[in-house]
Amino acid sequence: MAGMNDLSRLVDAGGITIELRRGGSGAPLLVIHGELGVPGWLDSFAQLAKHYDVIVPLLPGYGRSTRPDWIMSVHDLAAWITWFARDLDLRTPVNVIGCSLGGWVAAEIATVAPQFLNKLVLVGAMGIKPEHGEIFDYFLESGLTGLRRAFYRPEQSPGFTRYWGKEWTPEEADLIEQHREMTCRIAWKPYMHSLTLRYLLPGIITPTLLVWGRDDAITPLECGEIYQHAIPRSQLAVIEHCGHMPEMEQPAEFSQLVEHFLSG
Amino acid sequence: MTRKFFFFSEMGYNAYPVEALEKYGYSALLFPNSIFDAEKARDLWQMFLREHEYASEIGFDGSVCNEHHNNVLSMQESVNISAAVISQRIKGAIALIGNPLPIHDNPVRVAEEIAMLDLISGGRIISGFVRGTGIEQLSTNANPAYNRERFEEAFALIKKTWTVSGPFRWEGKHYHLRVVNPWQLPLQKPHPPIWAAGILSPETIRWAARQRITYLVLGSALDATATCRDIYHEVAREDGWTPTPEHLGYLIHTAVMDTDEEAYEMGRYHYGGASVIGRSGGVAQSALSSGTGSAGATGGGPHPEWMAPPGYMSKQAKTGNMARERRMSEGSYDAALRAGLIVTGSPKTIVQKFKHIIDRTDPGYLTFWAREGKKPHEATMRGIELLGKEVIPVLREHQSALVSGKEVTPWPE
Repeated sequence: MAGMNDLSRLVDAGGITIELRRGGSGAPLLVIHGELGVPGWLDSFAQLAKHYDVIVPLLPGYGRSTRPDWIMSVHDLAAWITWFARDLDLRTPVNVIGCSLGGWVAAEIATVAPQFLNKLVLVGAMGIKPEHGEIFDYFLESGLTGLRRAFYRPEQSPGFTRYWGKEWTPEEADLIEQHREMTCRIAWKPYMHSLTLRYLLPGIITPTLLVWGRDDAITPLECGEIYQHAIPRSQLAVIEHCGHMPEMEQPAEFSQLVEHFLSG
Repeated sequence: MTRKFFFFSEMGYNAYPVEALEKYGYSALLFPNSIFDAEKARDLWQMFLREHEYASEIGFDGSVCNEHHNNVLSMQESVNISAAVISQRIKGAIALIGNPLPIHDNPVRVAEEIAMLDLISGGRIISGFVRGTGIEQLSTNANPAYNRERFEEAFALIKKTWTVSGPFRWEGKHYHLRVVNPWQLPLQKPHPPIWAAGILSPETIRWAARQRITYLVLGSALDATATCRDIYHEVAREDGWTPTPEHLGYLIHTAVMDTDEEAYEMGRYHYGGASVIGRSGGVAQSALSSGTGSAGATGGGPHPEWMAPPGYMSKQAKTGNMARERRMSEGSYDAALRAGLIVTGSPKTIVQKFKHIIDRTDPGYLTFWAREGKKPHEATMRGIELLGKEVIPVLREHQSALVSGKEVTPWPE
């Protein structure tokens, strides 16, 4: 099991080199991050690491993970995740948290590979076109605007101020652009949603918890409700005073919800 | 070859109320089309076409047309329709600068339309291809992260369509066609001259040199254009061949009037400003105090991400020397004049300036961007007349110092 100090390293898995953050001990808990990447070892990860072996790969094209040109869709990422997990010798079925774009990836896995999953947590997940509102278009705005919008109150959120609230170095600015580019490569059109996913959700047998910020200004809460209606026996937990990234903006409440669900 | 002199106008919708720029801070992409007035646009079309026609009558060798989307900069949403109409109004060549290939899902359609144009015009078409600005990718929903891949694949497919007998099948990365076998092929063999046009992307210059096609520098300052030429020649040298003047085109904002003072004032219509993405990107609030033209069109403005959506532009293109040079030339109207981003003067003055430009860059195609924005029609027509009667005839006789080995003509004081 990885020690708490061994939190970021490069590993070869799934055919490429991957930046991997891993900490804690217990049953494996795989986190699939969203379109904004994952900027560090989040407080919520530290909390969950008390009971789980928390495994956070930077997806292909994000962070220092290499970008194979053949990855062009969320489906490709979903298939790649199962390959990655096999190469890490993760015992399956495994618990998975999927955030935003990563939630869409996790939902795709659930529709085709139920044997891979033990329990599933989808957080502000992309993948579903809302019926009334719209998924925020990151690409009509700057990287900073998108990041700020992902938080209910960015200035009051230690998750935001710690990682993105200061003036960016050129390297940090490049990383934000790199993440935006990778997101373009896989989710440009149809933008951040699948035309078929919602019809496949009723086939999911994995116990699923949906976590949404009440004030999610990226993926409307309505999307969470659609997920909840479509996935059999799923539950929707809504966190107050929280935007698109509960794992960063409300880490304590988020971790508590997840722990409760996984241990139940 | 003999140097050719062309006329260019973006044919922009200049009837927008200036207050609207102040309100929105941009003039493209999300600039609401409720501001558009069809009757005014109808009249503008007639005015613009008349200007092209007059340029042809007065001695220009051809006209240049272009394409932009969701933008007051240009009313040409289809360069091929512009070219079709202009071809019936002028005698000379029609250069398209050009079809933004990545926005098309069926490049064979582009090949078909250019073949039609070439046939209808009797072989007067020059077919330019571009990547399109960032705005084009956003307004047509073409994935910017694959912009260059799509450009290069579409180019290869179009070239094959013109040079290899059909039917054939195309199964590429971005384009998939069961049958490629368009009935009409261009009149010019093997195909019309092909240009690539760009602003400051070194990758595109290198790519054009590798393809041995003409690279057209779009409205850039003189030093940057000389750098473009150097890069092109360097790549050609590596590949073992020597470019001729016809491998370089240069499009320059030009304001010529009877006196230097009048020309200086008319040149202001061409200036956008450093904080402006220009008419191709959106105008910042500060544009109103600096200008409403498109020269200086790459700076930033309120939405720089529109001009550089993710993956569209390499880091080198964003931060390299050419980008830096360009930014420096955009700081003020006078800085733009000093850098040669906009060239103004009486016929006598401007002849000397263009001799200097030719001496340093030797472009086979010199295109005067001689109508812009809200510049009055009468002044535009007078400028065209002076270029046709007093400037072009003199420049036709001028051999570049790069060829003659003579001293570079000094820039007038």
